[in-house]
Amino acid sequence: MAAYRGHRTNPDKFEKGQIKIYIMILPMILLTGLPIIFIIFHAFKPMEELFAFPPKFITTNPTLDNFAKLAKASRSASIPLSKYVFNSVFITIVSVLASLLFSTMAAYALSKLKFKGRTMMMQINQIALMFVAVAVMIPRYLIVNKLGLIDTYLAEILPLIAVPVALFLVKGFVDQVPDSLIEAAYLDGASEWRIYTSIIIPLIKPAIATAAILVFQQVWTNIEYANYYINDDSLKSLAFYMNTLTSATTTNTVAGQGIAAAASLIMFLPNLILFCILQNSVMNTMATSGIK
Amino acid sequence: MKIFGKKEKKPRIKLGKLESREARMGYLFVAPWLVGVLAFLLIPLAQSFYYMWYNIRITPNGMKFTFLGTGNFTQIWLENPEFPQQLVTYIWQTLIEVPIIVVFALMIAIMLNGKIVARGFFRLIFFLPVIIVSGPVMNLLVSEGASSIPAMDTQAIVSAMETVLPVSAAEGIGEIFSNMIMTLWYSGVQILIFLSALQKVDPSMYEAAKIDGGSEWECFWKITLPTIKPMILLCSVYSVIFLSGNEQNELITMIKDAMFSGTKEKGYGYASAMAWMYALVITLITLLFFLLLGSKKDHYDRLVKKHQKQLKKEEREAKRIERRGRRNAARMEKIQRKGKFTTYDGSGDY
Repeated sequence: MAAYRGHRTNPDKFEKGQIKIYIMILPMILLTGLPIIFIIFHAFKPMEELFAFPPKFITTNPTLDNFAKLAKASRSASIPLSKYVFNSVFITIVSVLASLLFSTMAAYALSKLKFKGRTMMMQINQIALMFVAVAVMIPRYLIVNKLGLIDTYLAEILPLIAVPVALFLVKGFVDQVPDSLIEAAYLDGASEWRIYTSIIIPLIKPAIATAAILVFQQVWTNIEYANYYINDDSLKSLAFYMNTLTSATTTNTVAGQGIAAAASLIMFLPNLILFCILQNSVMNTMATSGIK
Repeated sequence: MKIFGKKEKKPRIKLGKLESREARMGYLFVAPWLVGVLAFLLIPLAQSFYYMWYNIRITPNGMKFTFLGTGNFTQIWLENPEFPQQLVTYIWQTLIEVPIIVVFALMIAIMLNGKIVARGFFRLIFFLPVIIVSGPVMNLLVSEGASSIPAMDTQAIVSAMETVLPVSAAEGIGEIFSNMIMTLWYSGVQILIFLSALQKVDPSMYEAAKIDGGSEWECFWKITLPTIKPMILLCSVYSVIFLSGNEQNELITMIKDAMFSGTKEKGYGYASAMAWMYALVITLITLLFFLLLGSKKDHYDRLVKKHQKQLKKEEREAKRIERRGRRNAARMEKIQRKGKFTTYDGSGDY
């Protein structure tokens, strides 16, 4: 299984037949690529270009001014920036790993193992999916409070562990894994855990990578949990810090705009890096039909 | 003489060793996720369901509950004209936007699945927006007007639409036109789902179709589309959920505002009522997509079902014959006993 590399059929040479596809794709590429270029350019704009009307897309004379301002603003704070970075990285890594592990395990069980109440559990997930996540903020607070988790890292990690969207996506992929593959492994004496680790996981890698990106974003950019569940400033996340930094300054000075632009680039970069790491497994999609 | 065996009672099926083991493993695998869902999704959901009948005010000595009954709902519908209006706009927008996203994603996925140079690069570009749209970056982009095509005169389209459609529908369509680029940005995950589905289509099927003289167009309708049908449903549902839950959605902002507003009549109960109504609408829309795209039973399934029905009928017939036979046998025995005296005293075999 491991030797199978998917359908790697990229041609080496340019062919005439590809031109029509290029003509269709290129304009769309431009449209979808715009926001990324915009974010990057926006962060390097000097003051007068930030407020130019009509808004300019491309920076004519880039500066590092915004970053300098950001550094200055964070230096004047009582808690060093590195603490926030550590908090965010820690919280994100733990919750992404945990939620992926739990949702893939649950997806495998719900899709391939037979037991009482599994359809009900899937329906529960369906309902949770439909419900607006913001609206359960207060009951969640009550539960976090009751568990005594206020002002701990767990308050920021636990609520994000059960992500219905991740289970929904992953289960859609596990459903596609042929049963005969699992039966074959079972006949060879593999336990459920073994089937999970050596059949399911490798086959649904693209789904895992996609879910990882989605969950990562949810956690990384989350402000609300740090805002409502954490009182201790030294435990809050980087996203929260960036938000306070920009919102506090935008209200009274125009300089906030520049800081906001720089901060959004900084918040965006980890997304990009993670994506570049994962994109290979996201894109090189699977060979589920291991059976002929 | 015993011709027909006594009707066997169907035994209660006890799980076999393997089955019970499978069930046990199933519970084990689900357990961690279930705990998380119970604690941080289900119980909060239930609580918010309970709270929506109350007016909740947070006072220094804890929360103060006043039972309202359906008060929150009447208040939302009668005194808050914005919410129903937004809801209707949202429904139209979703119903139109989801097919656009799905079709667009499918088109792109098919193109990217073809053999072109720099395919990997293209895939990356199309997936990239996914990492922006849900973040705060999106707010920045929207506020800068980067998500609309300035050259497009939306107002003209809307007013033209209003002559044929109800106002709320026209508004929804107008919003779609003005956010066309955003729609494209939203389709990253869908493209990915389709790509992986497309790669699972067995190439030998296309070969067979080609040999039989099928064109590409026919191949698409007869092979590609039926094979990826479950993924189309998955994509539509994902799109509905994404559209309803992202931060650009004005209903979400409204619910959030109501939740944290300190006014007397609003507050958490009010927000829960709103959220539940919103969730109901989303569920209905998803159901609609399930009905439209859900897997209908294919020909083979129908045959199997027919066969099963036939079997059941035969079984019933057999039972009836058996019953009749038993009755007849009893009658015969009675007659025999009456007519002929036997010395059998019941002590065993003759």
